[in-house]
Amino acid sequence: MRSNLLLISKIGWRSIWRNKRRTLISLFSIVIGTGIPIFFVCIAWGFYAGLIDDVARLMSGHITYEHVEYRNSPSNDLWVDDIQKIDQTLNNNSEILTTKQIVNLQGVAHTAKGSVGISLMGVEPEKEITISFLPENIIEGKYLSKGDERWVVVGQKLAKNLNIDIGKKFVFTTNNVDGELTEELFRVKGVFKTGSKEIDGHFVQSDIGIARKVAGLSNDDVSQLGIIVKNPDNHENFIKDLQKSVAKNSGVFLSWQKIMPDVATTIRMDRTAISSFMIMLVVIVLFTMFSTILMSALERKREFASLLALGAQQIELKIQIFLETIFFGLIACPLGALLGISLAKWVEGYDMMDMFGGKAEDMTVGGFGMDTIITPLFSLPLILQISIFFFFAVQLLSILPIYLISRISITDELRSA
Amino acid sequence: MNTNNEIVSLTNIIKNYDNGKVITKALQGIDLKIYQGDFSVMMGPSGCGKSTLLNIIGALDRATSGSVIFNGKDFNSLTNKELSIIRRNQIGFVFQNYNLLPVLTAYENAEYVLMLQNIPLSQRKEKVMNLFKEMELEGLENRLPRELSGGQQQRVAIARAVVTNPLLVLADEITANVDSKTAQSLLMLMEKLNKNNNITFLFSTHDPIVKKFARKVILLKDGRIDKEELSSENI
Ligand SMILES: Nc1ncnc2c1ncn2[C@@H]1O[C@H](COP(=O)(O)OP(=O)(O)O)[C@@H](O)[C@H]1O
Ligand SMILES: [Mg+2]
Repeated sequence: MRSNLLLISKIGWRSIWRNKRRTLISLFSIVIGTGIPIFFVCIAWGFYAGLIDDVARLMSGHITYEHVEYRNSPSNDLWVDDIQKIDQTLNNNSEILTTKQIVNLQGVAHTAKGSVGISLMGVEPEKEITISFLPENIIEGKYLSKGDERWVVVGQKLAKNLNIDIGKKFVFTTNNVDGELTEELFRVKGVFKTGSKEIDGHFVQSDIGIARKVAGLSNDDVSQLGIIVKNPDNHENFIKDLQKSVAKNSGVFLSWQKIMPDVATTIRMDRTAISSFMIMLVVIVLFTMFSTILMSALERKREFASLLALGAQQIELKIQIFLETIFFGLIACPLGALLGISLAKWVEGYDMMDMFGGKAEDMTVGGFGMDTIITPLFSLPLILQISIFFFFAVQLLSILPIYLISRISITDELRSA
Repeated sequence: MNTNNEIVSLTNIIKNYDNGKVITKALQGIDLKIYQGDFSVMMGPSGCGKSTLLNIIGALDRATSGSVIFNGKDFNSLTNKELSIIRRNQIGFVFQNYNLLPVLTAYENAEYVLMLQNIPLSQRKEKVMNLFKEMELEGLENRLPRELSGGQQQRVAIARAVVTNPLLVLADEITANVDSKTAQSLLMLMEKLNKNNNITFLFSTHDPIVKKFARKVILLKDGRIDKEELSSENI
């Protein structure tokens, strides 16, 4: 049987090259069918990974430690304590790159021009520079530095709406942790632009020291502790471990999916869209190949009949037809993967806005602006998954020819000279 | 001739083709024996049932009724798979239009059935090369069928049929597609194989050249054997 299998493979392999043009068209359609989804997935996944990372670093990390009630209503009087010790423990963990201590205050900013609801985030500026992209997005003035009292950076839209610029003041009204109304005077040190309406219009950063003072929190308390991890995708068990070993009182560790459900939902929907798109492509590929594969088997009916006459078994012919589609898949699916990867590599670094036109502000996911520079993510499991999916889809094509060959009548075929 | 060396024994073979509308009575009661070493030809006008009879003897088709005993085995009691194994191991076929596999070289075509039989490489090579030498096919081993003339293709097809040393070689109208000189040389070759290697041949044809070589002529008419005669000049 081994030498038979070799013989069958030889015949099958040579048979697919008998009509080179037809074979090349079929191969081409599989290559395109496999390549395009891989291309899109590399781009989209890269884009999401970038988005998730940017937003996580700007906000409260890939994993956030916060009060158990904070998700339901992020009010100023929900905080977590004993934070310096926890922070130290976390920073000793090899999975964790770094952490950021955050005090969030919801309140209202006033100037002579008017009032705007804002979210003030107190951060450690010297750390924030290494974590978040916000410090790089200062378009006027400067970013914060450690111990800055009463200095803040504000978004471009907010500056415009309150009619303030560098050095100008506004009054911030909020509640402290005891529920008392407090007011604080802040000065603009810098203005940033992220491209997101929400962030440019309602987001303010100050040093964490002043934020604690306004909130009435001690040095050991924060609203959130943001955790930046090495591998943002794989944290289910990691979070469980942290919850068991590190969490205190009413503090909980949550993933970015829980912290930013809008972003997570959008990504999930997009993944579904890509899957449907892939199924559509499979249908097109199979459709274009179906008739060629069928024809290439049917036009050889006579040859198959003569092999049967010589004593070949039905199963050997079936294996041959099956091997032929396997050859198609084996040649074309890797080439398709290569095509997808090459295309993605080729557009790497281009700005999507330059390629497709449009304004960066229009592109938001869950309210967050996106980086429009294309940075594909080449996930081997995903690329394999798509290639293998197409490989098996192509194998469906051999079913009908195999069935028809199994019904061949030797004498009828040999008679029709 | 010796009944101990009987290869095929047909008794009252009837074959009807039923295409739903018309029933064609292709064979209407054939009794025939074929012996080891025969070099016989079936003759008769087109449509008299020659191919049908060859197909039934060669286990390519089943009779509507009657019995085929091949080398002691009753075809009626065998499954299709068992029949295909008999074809593989004991019968050789040569067809009018050669039916070589176009993607295989001359050598590979001749080697094909030996591979189906799982004969080891060295033996396959020896058998095919010896036969190619005997059949003056040397030097053509690596040619594809389309690179060979009709006569050369038919010689390869004959090589493929005899390389396994079958009990019986069935040859249906094998000179129909070649000129008479080529036909003559093909027949001389098969006559040599018959004499030297003791291979039994049964031809079907309406080509008189074949008749010249045959030692026994079976005349068919309307699905019946009209006459069986020994050709004295060839005995
Ligand atoms: N598969 C078939 N279906 C219907 N009729 C057939 C079939 N094969 C042969 N016949 C008919 O059977 C008769 C004998 O055919 P065949 O054996 O091919 O004759 P020959 O080989 O002597 O020319 C013819 O009338 C032919 O038309
Ligand atoms: Mg005929």
